[in-house]
Amino acid sequence: MSNMLRWQGKNTGFELIHPGLQLTYFAVVLVLTMTAMQPVLLTISFISALLFSFCVRGWQTTLKTLVILLPLVIICAVINPLFAMMGSSEVVRFGQHAIYLESIIFGLCMGMMLASVILWFSCASKILSTDKVLAVLGGVLPVVGLMISMAMRLVPQFTERGKLIGSVAESVTSARPLTKRDHITSRLRIVSVLMGWSLEESLQSADAMKARGWGATNKRTGYKRYRFAAFDLFASLALALLVITCSVLAFVACSQFHFYPTMSTLTLWWGYIPYALLMLLPLVVRIVEDLRFKWLGQA
Amino acid sequence: MTELKDFIHSTKPASEPALSIDGLCFSYASQDSNTGTQMAGNLLFSDASMCLPQGSFTLLTGNTGSGKTTLMRLIKPELAPTGYRKGAINVFGRETTSLSVAESSTMIGYVAQNPETQIVCDAVWHELAFGLENLGTSQEAMRRRVAEVAYFFGIEPWMHSPTASLSGGQKQILALASILVMQPKLLLLDEPTAQLDPIAEKNFLHALFRINRELGITVLVATHSPETMTDYATGALRLEDGKIEPTPLSAIPAKAGIHNKLQIPHDNATDSTTINCRDLFFRYSKEEPWVLRGFDLTVATSSIHAIVGGNGSGKSTLLNMMAKAIKPLRGRVNNLHSSSQAILPQNPMALFVGDTAAEELKEWQQRCDYSDEEIVSMVDLFNLKSALAKHPYDLSGGEQQKLALAKILLTKPKLLLLDEPTKGLDTSAKRELATTLLGLRAKGVTILMATHDLAFVSKVADNTTMIFDGQSACSEPTQEFFSNNIFYRLPRIDSTTNELNVAHEKSMREDESKTDS
Repeated sequence: MSNMLRWQGKNTGFELIHPGLQLTYFAVVLVLTMTAMQPVLLTISFISALLFSFCVRGWQTTLKTLVILLPLVIICAVINPLFAMMGSSEVVRFGQHAIYLESIIFGLCMGMMLASVILWFSCASKILSTDKVLAVLGGVLPVVGLMISMAMRLVPQFTERGKLIGSVAESVTSARPLTKRDHITSRLRIVSVLMGWSLEESLQSADAMKARGWGATNKRTGYKRYRFAAFDLFASLALALLVITCSVLAFVACSQFHFYPTMSTLTLWWGYIPYALLMLLPLVVRIVEDLRFKWLGQA
Repeated sequence: MTELKDFIHSTKPASEPALSIDGLCFSYASQDSNTGTQMAGNLLFSDASMCLPQGSFTLLTGNTGSGKTTLMRLIKPELAPTGYRKGAINVFGRETTSLSVAESSTMIGYVAQNPETQIVCDAVWHELAFGLENLGTSQEAMRRRVAEVAYFFGIEPWMHSPTASLSGGQKQILALASILVMQPKLLLLDEPTAQLDPIAEKNFLHALFRINRELGITVLVATHSPETMTDYATGALRLEDGKIEPTPLSAIPAKAGIHNKLQIPHDNATDSTTINCRDLFFRYSKEEPWVLRGFDLTVATSSIHAIVGGNGSGKSTLLNMMAKAIKPLRGRVNNLHSSSQAILPQNPMALFVGDTAAEELKEWQQRCDYSDEEIVSMVDLFNLKSALAKHPYDLSGGEQQKLALAKILLTKPKLLLLDEPTKGLDTSAKRELATTLLGLRAKGVTILMATHDLAFVSKVADNTTMIFDGQSACSEPTQEFFSNNIFYRLPRIDSTTNELNVAHEKSMREDESKTDS
């Protein structure tokens, strides 16, 4: 059971849409986070990523990640002013070297960006299981999809076998290697058994593929587990609209903002709202889904 | 696309035979094929003919090396070996050599011996769709056919599992299902159950029976142990001296069993124990459920101790732990002979390194210091003479099992750990194995085996432990075990049918209902 759950991924609200769209969402969020170098936008992205990570990866795992990420942010904040001696408000001065507040803030923003990207990536890997990525790939390139699928089976099988051969040889203690030479050959033996076994099996697998019509047509099709429904079209349009709005707003926000020599003052602005909506979207969907099931349960 | 209904009707008995072979001659292209005389000696088939009516379930028997596999492969054009060939093979009135790849794969299905090698993809759903993808089937048709087949075999619950996580039995069912999804009318199976444990074998045969009777698909099974299949079959053929002869099902080799007289009373029973462990806990990772949780085991010196239990109950894990290949998370394993033990793994391939069976037996000769005479007597004991020159991989499943056992026995272990020793063995081989094990016990060897095969256990084991839910549910002398158990036991058999197979089959049905529930 645990295996199956791992394969299908947890209930995140993302299952409602096509994997292609899921992939697009994460790609967009990552690109925006990496390009929009503006404190408010970065904070929005970081908080959203953090909240979503609590939601899909659990608070324990997320806290463990934070333990690594926070020092990273601090290191960035410390290192940047040492290399970029720019800004106007001097904090301390070591002889020739001045440390400016602006460059500390720039470093903090850099660190936050890195942290957000890492958090978004770990959330994405939780939701975009390999079979989803393959489904997207397999739809476009069936043969590449198949090759990856075969490799995904063979590589773990290979390592697993290597371990098995070694453990069997070690378990036969009545014939355990005695001399140093025996010990060295036992390593070689594992490789030789593994190669022979795998080659033999690959021949049989090739037969099994031929017996099932491999190469019968030039136009191989790919079985699509996910279909692109009308809802997905609607969702893509809505997402596209949101993304365009956010990109324009982010561009405006970034071009009006500068760190050096003096940092621009940040003001309350309506333009942050669509950006926050985009970043918090998965969380909102998740909460709505949870509430829906709660109401259903009570009804 | 043909609907399943039409499909069934179209394969209902008609005048045309499903498969007919006329005057088939074949030899592998090893020698000069210009002169007929040189060929004659090597002919595997000479003027062989046969005919399978539609909807039949036929067993193809014959000794090892009689050419069962070659014949099966000759029928399937993509797998046909090259060589000198004469005569006609017709499937539903079509000459097989004239079939296109697409036609052949939708007419003739081929399932081989080892489920492991027939699986190509990493996920079950992809494996099912693989053949249809090859044929360029449209999305809707593919979805429908995969759904139909998944329901027929009850695959739905594990549709999204990785194929690597399946049991051997599930793998072979999947291999069968992914052939049937292409809707063949003739199904060829080459020793499909040789790699399966008795319960999985029974499940597989049930599935095969349903395909034949419910869907009307013609089935031809090559097997060296036809006695397990006679209940399902409608006819049998025997390959002998290059000819194919029909044989009545009743003439299938006697259902000879291991008789009670085999029970050699052992006098050297001692109070000493070879293995002793208490309160073992183990799981493979933090996310996975416990395999063992508080398992106790005591194995008396020079006794045969059997561990029985369902699939995935932790029998193999336990054997590896006794061999100290894996460590328990809690508890201790006391193994008196841990420096002089040998293990027979579930897949004997893990032991083979040589180019021939003979080399295999010599691998540890220097290290363990055994003479050539000992090898010869071991070869005689396991009847492996004909296999000596062959590559271990080319041997049948049963022969591989025997070779692996011979190889580890030559190292003269004091403790023998056997994982499913009767897998792939026919009745006579099982009987030989039982005799060998009892002989070893008489010499003071301690044997611990994990097996499904209750009939075998009842004949050779001194003590039996049933593993359930990570614990030892009971551990008793075998006779008491079987008389105290009401459900998990051999059925009462009257004296006239005191035969292994009958007992075997019934016990298997019991096992099945246990594991199914």
